[in-house]
Amino acid sequence: MTNDELYLKERVGQKNPFHTPEGYFDQFTANIMAQLPEQTSHAHRQVVDQHFVAKKVTMPVRHWFYAAACVAALVVTAFSFHFHEQADGQQQTVVSETYMDEAADYAMLDNMDIYQLLAEE
Amino acid sequence: MTKDEERLLMQQLIDPKSQRQAFERLVREYSEQLYWQVRRTVLSHEDANDILQNVFLKAWSHLDDFHHDAKISTWLYRIAVNESLDFLRRKKNQIVVSADDSGQSVSQTLMADRYFDGDQTEALLQEAISRLPEVQRLVFNLRYFDEMKYSDISALLQTSEGALKASYHIAVKKISEFFRSHD
Repeated sequence: MTNDELYLKERVGQKNPFHTPEGYFDQFTANIMAQLPEQTSHAHRQVVDQHFVAKKVTMPVRHWFYAAACVAALVVTAFSFHFHEQADGQQQTVVSETYMDEAADYAMLDNMDIYQLLAEE
Repeated sequence: MTKDEERLLMQQLIDPKSQRQAFERLVREYSEQLYWQVRRTVLSHEDANDILQNVFLKAWSHLDDFHHDAKISTWLYRIAVNESLDFLRRKKNQIVVSADDSGQSVSQTLMADRYFDGDQTEALLQEAISRLPEVQRLVFNLRYFDEMKYSDISALLQTSEGALKASYHIAVKKISEFFRSHD
């Protein structure tokens, strides 16, 4: 024992200065036992493990399925975009031709008037 | 508890049929020892009670993790040490964050505690211990009050005996200096 330790034991002692409420340790065990949840049984744990393994096995298959779905979605989007653009171009030509004819009829202009207007400009 | 009794208890804890009953025995057997270890670390009865409940609830939910070559008392002590240290760290953070800290010293708080029987000197000892770093504090309590062997403390804290002896020596020196400065 060192001098410091000796000094401390003489100066302060080793007594436990704490205490607990009366009957604390008697009630503690009952208290804890009342709080204990049901223990997960070994059988249940095995079922959980098997489920986990099954999940692990199906995981790559599922990944392939997701990848295929993504590729299909991309192809459909690309095709629909392409067709939409083509249809849009055709529709625009049709609309502009009919619009000019209707506008000429409305203004009661024949081809000669149009040529004259263009020559004046 | 003898080695044979502990072995029997372990077998009962593995068997789902006897598990609950065996655990009840375990709580009855170790709750008091663990309580004093936790109480010396956290000082208040309410905190020690909360921590001790957590210790046993954790032990129950992690029974499968227990390595059967180790002593169950060491395993429980280790959970108690970890829970106590976690509590101290959380409390330290709360004090740093809290703006309305009363500023009372540890000895003043203890003297006002209804579950503290000690005199002013004993309250000062607890204050000096509370100023030690975590490991020194644990080692000091286990060695000074419980007179635990260094080999047992080493198994408990998973630290070499040499390091533990050094920690205890430094702790004793610091506490002695604290008292000499108060004389």
